[in-house]
Amino acid sequence: MGRLRRRRLSPLGRRQAAAGLLFVAPWLLALVVFHGYPIVAATYLSFTDYTVLTPPEWVGTDNYVKMWGDSAVWRAARNSLFYALLSVPIGLVLSLVLALLLNRPVRGIGIHRTLFYMPSVVPPVAGTIVFLLLLEPRSGLLNTVIEVTGLDGPAWFLDPQWSKWGLIVLSLWGVGAATLIFLAGLQEIPASLLEAASIDGAGAWGRFRHVTLPLLTPVILFNLVIGVIYSFQVFDAAMVVGGTTGEPGGSTLMYMVLIYRSAFSYFDMGYASAQALVLFLAILAVTAAIFGTTRRWVYEEA
Amino acid sequence: MRPNRGPLMPMVIDRRRFLQLLGAGGAAVLVGACGSDEPAATTAAATTSGTAAPATTAAPVAIDFWLPGGSDPFCQGFVEVGEAFSASGSGVTLNDVLCGVGVDEDFNERLMANLAAGTPPDAVIIWSPPVVMASLGALEPLDGLMAASTYSQVENWPEGVLASCRWDGQIFGLPATASSYAIFYNEELLESKGISSAREDFPKTWDDLKAMSAEFVEWDGDTLVSAGFIPPYDGIESAIWSATNGGVLYDADQQRSTLDSDQNIEMLDYALQWLNEQYKGDWVALQASGNYTGGGYVDGSGRPPAFQGGHHAALVNGFWFASDIYGSEFSGWERWNVAQFPVGPSGTSTASGFWPNWCAIPKGAPNPEAAFKWLDYLVVEGMRTWFGKVPDIPTNRLAPDDLFPQAVADQRDDEFATEITQFFTAQLEVAAPMWTSPVQDFMHDRLYEAIDAVLLKTATPKEALTAAQEATQAELDSLLAG
Repeated sequence: MGRLRRRRLSPLGRRQAAAGLLFVAPWLLALVVFHGYPIVAATYLSFTDYTVLTPPEWVGTDNYVKMWGDSAVWRAARNSLFYALLSVPIGLVLSLVLALLLNRPVRGIGIHRTLFYMPSVVPPVAGTIVFLLLLEPRSGLLNTVIEVTGLDGPAWFLDPQWSKWGLIVLSLWGVGAATLIFLAGLQEIPASLLEAASIDGAGAWGRFRHVTLPLLTPVILFNLVIGVIYSFQVFDAAMVVGGTTGEPGGSTLMYMVLIYRSAFSYFDMGYASAQALVLFLAILAVTAAIFGTTRRWVYEEA
Repeated sequence: MRPNRGPLMPMVIDRRRFLQLLGAGGAAVLVGACGSDEPAATTAAATTSGTAAPATTAAPVAIDFWLPGGSDPFCQGFVEVGEAFSASGSGVTLNDVLCGVGVDEDFNERLMANLAAGTPPDAVIIWSPPVVMASLGALEPLDGLMAASTYSQVENWPEGVLASCRWDGQIFGLPATASSYAIFYNEELLESKGISSAREDFPKTWDDLKAMSAEFVEWDGDTLVSAGFIPPYDGIESAIWSATNGGVLYDADQQRSTLDSDQNIEMLDYALQWLNEQYKGDWVALQASGNYTGGGYVDGSGRPPAFQGGHHAALVNGFWFASDIYGSEFSGWERWNVAQFPVGPSGTSTASGFWPNWCAIPKGAPNPEAAFKWLDYLVVEGMRTWFGKVPDIPTNRLAPDDLFPQAVADQRDDEFATEITQFFTAQLEVAAPMWTSPVQDFMHDRLYEAIDAVLLKTATPKEALTAAQEATQAELDSLLAG
């Protein structure tokens, strides 16, 4: 087999290619300026001592060595990992259940779908303040409901044992976006397959387990990856609840808050860049690991 | 096929040509937008006025003034003072006053970005200590401008407060206002227990304050229904408690953090013992019971303050609270008063603290002389308006001394409001050293974490303060070495 030869473009082809490039140029420009450059700059700055107003000074791997011995980094990493490991699966299950409910042909379904999506467009800080009120230990709605069962509700954001759980509950406020994506996926599943399964005697659970769920795995993969990325980057809620020290007891100090405080409270941009780069690589590794497992569980149409 | 266009044919613009023109036009707009939005005359003035004092007969110099934020009346106050300043024949006018940035942005973040871009404002009010900003190279030294000023000579400021502006032998800010701290107490609650409510009879030692506090502590199961005084829990106020116990948090002369000094460890030991004796040793239960640690304000969970609710005998706050106290509804009482901080076991005298609004000139500001004229005017002439909007103790000795918070006078009377103001002004004379560390925010965060760990019992006072000290000193050493 001979080598493929690059075909010369005709004058018309060149003009069309130029027009195509012109169309995508704004996007490419934004990608390079707002994503590419910051990544490259942060990588460089992570090897420097940089406080914004004086030129960066090369310090080699000092910032990474400092990270290794910084207990706040490990605490923030543990908190973020705990949050991601619980908020992502709980959010996935809840959004899938909601999508299944919102996929039923009932009256006013459009209104229901809108209502469940609406929290996703509420500013995160406002949503967090609402949850501070809902999770107030003595008179908050959630503990009032719990008390009806005869149990004492926890102190949520005042108790280091429960504060991360409070943030996880808060994260469920925004499942509307994932729900909408699941809903779109559910509506792509051919009705004929579900009918065939019914004719073969499958019940509701059987149809879900053996038809819906396998066909929905590409959407689950998408929501899983996006969920993991976002969960490692939780910031607004953690900042409102715990400030830069992650109160109570450092239990809400998330990794993004750590980066923020290094950069904008202490103006240690070099150290913050190193922290950001490590987060970037960690998320990249986790995402790659997830994609590495897709052959085993994600359905791909031939 | 491309149409053959002769000289008399009308111009045809096809889709591709349209896109090319659109792209070229967009690029032109983008390049234009990247340019300065300053009028040419202003730019010219900016390049020359750094070396020549503005002449009052020439066109007035327009300066940009930024402050971190505040209520609408507070922000409007600066516009009013600015107009009076312009009308005073100063030869300087204020452009629009930037009072706060958007919710998605931090003021210091905006200021540092503008500094890095070479477009700083002319003058600012900052809520981060000038020592910190100066150590980053963000501010202009003011020594020369102060010496030549009308009001702002060094001797016109309390040295303890001005120390928050000193870095590397120079002064980088003017502490325009500095409200001091005291203990606010409910006179009626004290009297109900047969305790004298006179200021001179208020507890003079930590032991006395703890004993008084015990009179008011009441639990209903796991719920605290009434509190006396909550032992020290705040990072900033710790500077005061440390001073009343003979300690300091930071030794500015030696440029050394002293968080783990014996006096400070004793301070946290004392707080822990107090928590154990009166509050069941349960910091979470104490906080979950009600708003006892919100400093007299509605807290983040929307809970009204226990102090105004009449079931919290005494708390620490600054002079601003004398007016803000009426922001929450009083329940069944109205008479409060203030007292000095008691002395700790290792201390010898009372102390207070302060929280200033600092005026400064950013590094590279285009009109430093004009900007300083404005600041010099603001810290004395502007104080009556400032105080009228938000009562805050003026620090300059030439500022009006007949001010009192109207909200207090309205609720009580002019005499009480005046006396309170004089009390807080005098407290500045016993103020503990504060805001003098170049790693102030870092130190406060570490100290706050240490206190939190002690009260939550995840570390002993010695362990917590040793960890805070090591981290803070390392940060300080790194900054000083750089």
